[in-house]
Amino acid sequence: MYGYWGKILRVNLSTGDISVEEFGEDFVKKWLGTRGFGIHYLLKEMDPKADAFSEENKLIFSTGALTGTTAPTGGRYMVITKSPLTGYIAMANSGGFFGAELKKAGWDMIIFEGKSDKPVYLRIEDEKVELKDASHVWGKRVGETEKILTEEFGDKHVQIASIGPAGENLVRFSAIMNNGHRAAARGGVGAVMGSKKLKAVVVRGHKRVEVIDRRKFTSVMREKTDKLKNDPVAGQGLPAYGTAILVNIINQNGLYPTRNFRYGQFEYAEEQSGEAMAKKYLKRNKPCFACPIGCGRVNDTETVGETEGPEYESTWALGANLGINDLASIIEANHLCDEYGLDTISTGGTLATAMELYDRGFLKQEDLGDAPPFRWGNTEVLHYYIPKIAKREGFGEILAEGGYRLAEKYGCVDCFMGVKKQELPAYDPRGAEGHGLGYATDNRGGDHIKAYLISPEILGYPFKMDPHDISDEKVKMLILFQDLTAVIDAAGMCVFTTFGLGGDDYRDLLNAAFGYNLTTEEWLKIGERIWNAERLFNLKAGLDPLKEDTLPKRLTDEPMPAGPNKGHVVRLKEMLPRYYALRGWNPDGTMPEEKIKELGLEEYL
Amino acid sequence: MVRVKFFATLRDITGLREIEVKGVGNIRELLNILYEKFGDKFKREIEEKNMILVNGHNILDLEGYDTKIDEGDEVAIFPPVGGG
Repeated sequence: MYGYWGKILRVNLSTGDISVEEFGEDFVKKWLGTRGFGIHYLLKEMDPKADAFSEENKLIFSTGALTGTTAPTGGRYMVITKSPLTGYIAMANSGGFFGAELKKAGWDMIIFEGKSDKPVYLRIEDEKVELKDASHVWGKRVGETEKILTEEFGDKHVQIASIGPAGENLVRFSAIMNNGHRAAARGGVGAVMGSKKLKAVVVRGHKRVEVIDRRKFTSVMREKTDKLKNDPVAGQGLPAYGTAILVNIINQNGLYPTRNFRYGQFEYAEEQSGEAMAKKYLKRNKPCFACPIGCGRVNDTETVGETEGPEYESTWALGANLGINDLASIIEANHLCDEYGLDTISTGGTLATAMELYDRGFLKQEDLGDAPPFRWGNTEVLHYYIPKIAKREGFGEILAEGGYRLAEKYGCVDCFMGVKKQELPAYDPRGAEGHGLGYATDNRGGDHIKAYLISPEILGYPFKMDPHDISDEKVKMLILFQDLTAVIDAAGMCVFTTFGLGGDDYRDLLNAAFGYNLTTEEWLKIGERIWNAERLFNLKAGLDPLKEDTLPKRLTDEPMPAGPNKGHVVRLKEMLPRYYALRGWNPDGTMPEEKIKELGLEEYL
Repeated sequence: MVRVKFFATLRDITGLREIEVKGVGNIRELLNILYEKFGDKFKREIEEKNMILVNGHNILDLEGYDTKIDEGDEVAIFPPVGGG
């Protein structure tokens, strides 16, 4: 087989047994890779109702079809598991160099099952795989963990995916980190790793990932890489300013969520924009494996020295959404989240929930004791509470459960701005209603990256759509984005390639790697299968679609108070039934037998 | 008076964050004035693709380059941009 080795490592952490399993081309043609492979095994091997922290939950690391090849951005991996935050599927994606190294070691996927009773890490050097004691790094932050384990391995090219104290302490929104600052973050995948007492996966590989016809693949790869390099966004905008270029754009368009989504514009956006960051703190760009874009930022501040990030999302989550304007504090807070292994979006979203609860009197200073008050704009909140969350100390114990559980505890569920118990990202959908439908229907809860409708609605890619158009065309576009993103994820590529590449380009790359002759529609069918299989997992886990495919009341019932989107809400009720119908689902959001058969999912019922 | 704000690379090219322009009726007229004032480099940067907002509304959702601008309006101009 090409692209993959057809090899899976199965590691039972309860018994310490390590075994090897194989897969063939039929499996690739059905599931393509990463989240496709992952959902197959979750549906096959676990009860979706099982507790995320139980032995029954699996933690799957999977590469994609083009991971480790020279395809532009072909270096990504995903972690697939049941989320302790949402109770549904989690599939978190990360760049850097770990995914490619895993493939180069001769492994396409690792399935962790069971639980270890003491801290361990998995050491992989090509065929040599062993579980090792990790008690000396348990409790350590990500940077130090990487340093110690790299020294122990004795090879500076080793790649490490690890958890910080947050994952160890089962913080429900912990990340798995690699290359210091790259995160498979959303859904609390790091906490599942922590529950299994697995501190890290350390890998070094020396193989070359083969494609069927290297010359042909290289020519297709060059064509697509040139396309990205010549694209004004992927080739110029993102390298120059990073993702934080969006701060001013989204703010000017009036959908930059401010103070827990109360407003759509932040008066200090300029001070934390990509332009400001580039001017004050940027040292250099840092691309991931095989990436011609290079949006990663290395910034330098007086307080933390050289660090990476923050991305647009983190800048917002730790800034505007809390009313915080000091960019140096935001950079420092982002660094802390990376070091402790926390998802920045959910960390910010949880702190924003606390600020709203405090502001409205649900949460009182006596609940906090001497700890800093949750006042809008109070930078002390960042430095004080981020470590407390990771260590579950003091009020951090309550924050570590996430915004939903916090809001519920203090009697104001509407103070939580999230979907399926996961905190929302940096776009107020009252200014992009199709994107709002995306939030409501995302298999992993409040999330922007599995169907980025901001692209057509705001940025104008692949073409401009009116953000307040809610016609069938918009709903169909969302479905296309959901399915196409599943293909890009499963291919092991970065979604930022979509600014310069279209469906046919991914088809060309995949066909050239495998020697297949599939049409774009056939590749998209795999994307549709993945999306539906994830939905099936959620339904089996107990999803109540009509109650949970929804948005916070603020976004559907309270008109945007000011700015370009003044007066708008998300008309979710008008879109959702059409979404279900266009997906081929039942009016109650469940899946009919015909759809399950059409996609070949009967074996998972 | 129309307030025109520049972003990203347009700030480097113009050396400005914003300017005020008098006596323009629509976006096309405004762009012609800006092309003349800031030269070829500015023009090249936004000629093919751009994002232009009038009071926060994208001109592609309005009348394109024929979108009218009135006294007191705010126009934001971006080169082609994206992120996520």
